[in-house]
Amino acid sequence: MKLADRYNRVNLLAALIVLMITGGIYYCVIHLIFTEKLDRDLKVEENEIKQYVATYKKLPLPASFLDQQVHYRLLKTGVKENRFFKNTSYFNVKENESEPGRSLITTLNQGDNLYEVTITKSRLEADDLIRIILLITLGVTCLLLLSLLLVNRFFLKQLWKPFYSILSQMKAFNLVKMNSIELNPTEVDEFQELNKSATQMAASVRQDYKELKNFTDNASHEMMTPLAVINSKLDTLLQAGPITQTQGVLLEDIYTAINRLTKLNQSLLLLTKIENNLMSDVQVVDFKELISDKCRQFQEILSRENIKLNINLQPCEIEMSRYLADILLNNLLGNAIKYNRTNGFVSINLNVNSLEIINSGKSFALTEQHFDRFFKSASSEGTGLGLAIIKQICELYNFSIDYSFPEGNHCFTVLIDS
Amino acid sequence: MKILIVEDELPLLESMITYFTEVGTICESASTYASASEKINLYSYDCVLLDLGLPDGEGLNLLKELKKLKKNDGVLIISARHSLDDKLCGLDLGADDYLVKPFHLSELKARVTAIIRRKKFDGNNVITFNEITVDITNMETSVNGQPITLTRKEYDLLVYFLSNKGKVVTKNAIAEHLWGDEMDISDDFDFIYTHIKNLRKKIIEAGTNDYLQSVYGIGYKFGSV
Repeated sequence: MKLADRYNRVNLLAALIVLMITGGIYYCVIHLIFTEKLDRDLKVEENEIKQYVATYKKLPLPASFLDQQVHYRLLKTGVKENRFFKNTSYFNVKENESEPGRSLITTLNQGDNLYEVTITKSRLEADDLIRIILLITLGVTCLLLLSLLLVNRFFLKQLWKPFYSILSQMKAFNLVKMNSIELNPTEVDEFQELNKSATQMAASVRQDYKELKNFTDNASHEMMTPLAVINSKLDTLLQAGPITQTQGVLLEDIYTAINRLTKLNQSLLLLTKIENNLMSDVQVVDFKELISDKCRQFQEILSRENIKLNINLQPCEIEMSRYLADILLNNLLGNAIKYNRTNGFVSINLNVNSLEIINSGKSFALTEQHFDRFFKSASSEGTGLGLAIIKQICELYNFSIDYSFPEGNHCFTVLIDS
Repeated sequence: MKILIVEDELPLLESMITYFTEVGTICESASTYASASEKINLYSYDCVLLDLGLPDGEGLNLLKELKKLKKNDGVLIISARHSLDDKLCGLDLGADDYLVKPFHLSELKARVTAIIRRKKFDGNNVITFNEITVDITNMETSVNGQPITLTRKEYDLLVYFLSNKGKVVTKNAIAEHLWGDEMDISDDFDFIYTHIKNLRKKIIEAGTNDYLQSVYGIGYKFGSV
């Protein structure tokens, strides 16, 4: 739920409750005031009747009153005097219908007789007035709520604009592209602060990233240079003169070790690079074409080991680093061939969102641990980083990699979910 | 042939000089940005081997300087940085090739020779070694004027050997040159042996001497005995 919606909801609900309560109180008070006024009129009427009785020594005729009805009733002797107000009904002769009324019931002495006098006035006008007042109040309430809603909707939207602008910039923020977050001019203090913080954060992240990249570069340089020296010295030693068979074997072992160390170093640097998403050559990679190329490259080794290659390729294009796509396929296919057996097979199935590589092999099923760095089977001669690199590349692009072991064959499935 | 090696790692520089120095090749060196800059301003080279990380300056600036001077020196960048950006940047600035450390001296030699050939002969280049002639432009090989048919790998192998005449070239270097990164797959070098055997057979049958010798299982040497 959006902040504005939430705020709106609470705001409107509170306004509604407050307005309803005040409306209720308002109604009661007005009602009270009108009843009071009516009662006062009735009392005036009572006074007039009393004065009339005092002057003329007889009761006035009931019909001589306007808009009110007066009834007399002779009371038996011994009844106490009584006086009270009461809501009754009033029969309108003109309209010939019953209306709500207000009565004053009082007693009056005329001569020796005690009369009960009932003066009734119509409440209709007062009620109408109250209704009109209530309707106006309701109308004002609705108008107020509506205007609140509109103000919230449009004004708040306008007010939050700088926030959404910063948010979209933060979403689009990409370290590799090294873009910065621009300052949006805004009058609101909070947004100014947010703006400032976001800009500062982006700047410091960029700085850290740059340092990291420099570190990776430096580490690579520092380690590769001594390796280059050893390699070149060995090459020079080899030219220096006749070497014996034993020396030859020794030299070959050294070359192999250096080669491994170099590969290891390169793999570690590659892992660091992928982790930090330092790959910038993102483009649409045609996997179908790339896999076909790889198969051609590996053809020689495949035929030497008499490994049968079954390929079923459907067009599949993925937006990713070309370099990483190359490494991913190299590692996957490389493993499928390297850990195969003579007269075995490799099957590659590619479709729009998955790549499946199945190969026959000599060993048992792999475990989850094989995807960890430096974990390798006793028979493996690799760096122990091949599968870790595959996993890391898949993680970077949100591909999922699954391994299964159907019918004694190794099956790797990469699900490309775009 | 005159080359300049710009490299701050002295032992490496020394090895490169030793490997490159032979009859007909003058090999000069610089281990700082300043001295390298002075040399490229004063002289012309067939090829400059440029290390990117120098103690007193960025190697790429040297390349910019060279291009500003409008010299036609070939440039091969040697770098420990395996970063794609640097590679593309270097090539964009006009470098002819890019080699990542560590490398085999034979690979370096092959690349430098290729650059110089390209620069000097402007597309019409032919390598001749005794009775063997290789036309690089058309990828054709002939012995005593008679064309012979080589596979792509055999051809690459021959050119590689011709660039490293008289040197011992290790199987490792050959494998990396011919197969590049896919080499991880197979740790034995049997398939190199097959290609070398075929190449040797083809050129001997065409009437050459046996120029290829195996060196104690570690590599091969091509050259007149």
